Amino acid sequence: MRELEKIEVDTLVVGSGIAGLQAALDLADQGYSVAIVEKAPSIGGKMISLSKVFPTLDCASCITTPRMASVSHHPRIKTLTYSTVDAIKREGKTFTASVTRKPRYIDEKECISCKRCEEVCPVYLPDEYEQGLGAKKTISIPFTNAIPQLPVMHPEHCIRCGACARACPKDCIEFLQEPAPVEIKAKAVILATGYETTPMTAKKQYGLGKLPNVISPMAAERLLAPHGPYGRVLRPSDGMVPGSIAYVQCAGSRDKSIGVPYCSRVCCMYAIKQAILLSGSLPIADITIYYMDIRAFGKGYEQFYNNARAMGINFVKAKVARITEDEKHNPILRIERQEGDSAPAEVKHELVVLSQGLLPGCDVSKFNLGAGLNDFGFVQLSDETVSSAVTAGAGVFAAGVVKGPRDIPDSVVDAGSAAMEAASYIRKL
Amino acid sequence: MADAKKLAEQLKKLNELRGPVPQELRDRVAAQNKAQKAILDALKEGPKTAPELAAAAGLPEDRALWYLVGLRKYGKISDVAGRGDYPKYELKAGEAK
Repeated sequence: MRELEKIEVDTLVVGSGIAGLQAALDLADQGYSVAIVEKAPSIGGKMISLSKVFPTLDCASCITTPRMASVSHHPRIKTLTYSTVDAIKREGKTFTASVTRKPRYIDEKECISCKRCEEVCPVYLPDEYEQGLGAKKTISIPFTNAIPQLPVMHPEHCIRCGACARACPKDCIEFLQEPAPVEIKAKAVILATGYETTPMTAKKQYGLGKLPNVISPMAAERLLAPHGPYGRVLRPSDGMVPGSIAYVQCAGSRDKSIGVPYCSRVCCMYAIKQAILLSGSLPIADITIYYMDIRAFGKGYEQFYNNARAMGINFVKAKVARITEDEKHNPILRIERQEGDSAPAEVKHELVVLSQGLLPGCDVSKFNLGAGLNDFGFVQLSDETVSSAVTAGAGVFAAGVVKGPRDIPDSVVDAGSAAMEAASYIRKL
Repeated sequence: MADAKKLAEQLKKLNELRGPVPQELRDRVAAQNKAQKAILDALKEGPKTAPELAAAAGLPEDRALWYLVGLRKYGKISDVAGRGDYPKYELKAGEAK
């Protein structure tokens, strides 16, 4: 272990997705100091990997990157990436967080982000940022617009050839680097730990992630992103341009059999958004959305849905019972229509996206801060009608999906509210 | 650039700390190098699709595509403009010829 680094701030923000970034910025702009801790090597959370947002079809990174840059350059914000919050202790009116900076195996102060280490590294591995569809190297910068632009080495994939160290012009490869402990003292804590999507393995009827052309919505986002793994929309089994694409709605929510009975609120809209984007990049493709009911509840959402219908996207009210595949890896959906002829039918598509739901990204009860959780592991607010950020733990506030599924505009509004509540709490101390 | 002696010492210490590089990883890298070479060799004959390259390199189609996109990302091959169900790839000028 390296020497203990001590940081003292007004607020600790856990998580640097759009909610965490916004909360940190709102506080810092009011004059409060903030430490923001992110487990991934870059700030930006899930949103930075999305292609576009609904219902405006603005590019997601065009909205996220300016906030990422503002946070990383803000004089009152200390950013800790590739770091985990191991524990938070309440001591009187202050919180003390034990944080571990994971080793990147480089000298972060000396690195000039030239990528020479990445260019010469001979080992390729699946790139989790591209949901495994693309490749990266054992030492690599996480993605094009990552902040900070620092490479991370994955020692479990390193063959110790030393090529990176020989190529580095600043001599900053440190094979023997160890984790570094950090202690953060803060007066308030904002939890913004976001979500994970329900895993591909959640439902055995849908292939348990073993069917190559049945993909997650996050993978579909990467296929649609301009700098995605293939540079265009192809299916993963053989690199074919798919001519027939289907969305299976409620593939990870409103399903008691997998323990997720709630509605994840965003899946209808992201599926419609992806369908619209797909019909833009693949004009002759057939796109079908199998749904229970379409929940288009936000501002402009209904119009967005109607536009998708008008563009020729097929909406079929049907429940998908099972997904199998033929010998060419074309997914076969066994469906039961809810309207008209309700006899079961089998339909073949070339690519299928499972509209997975949202699960809590982190079990924040481990921090023992007094903030209660609801039955599904999301943070419970003390009184939702009074505040959208105050939890039962004094000085502990919540922003974004940590409180339950919500979309990006709601998360941003929430984050502002969490920042305001935290500021007013600190002022009264 | 790293001092050769210092680097050798670091790598030696790393071997002492973590034990030798696992055989599984060595095999994986060997398979990767073989597959990438086969793909690049096949492309010397001209532009090819992912299934054509898979057949030429004796790889499953999804693996061939994964190697292809890795080589594409690191600048060894590029897309060929055009239509069709299966896009074609070609060697980037000056690479592996």
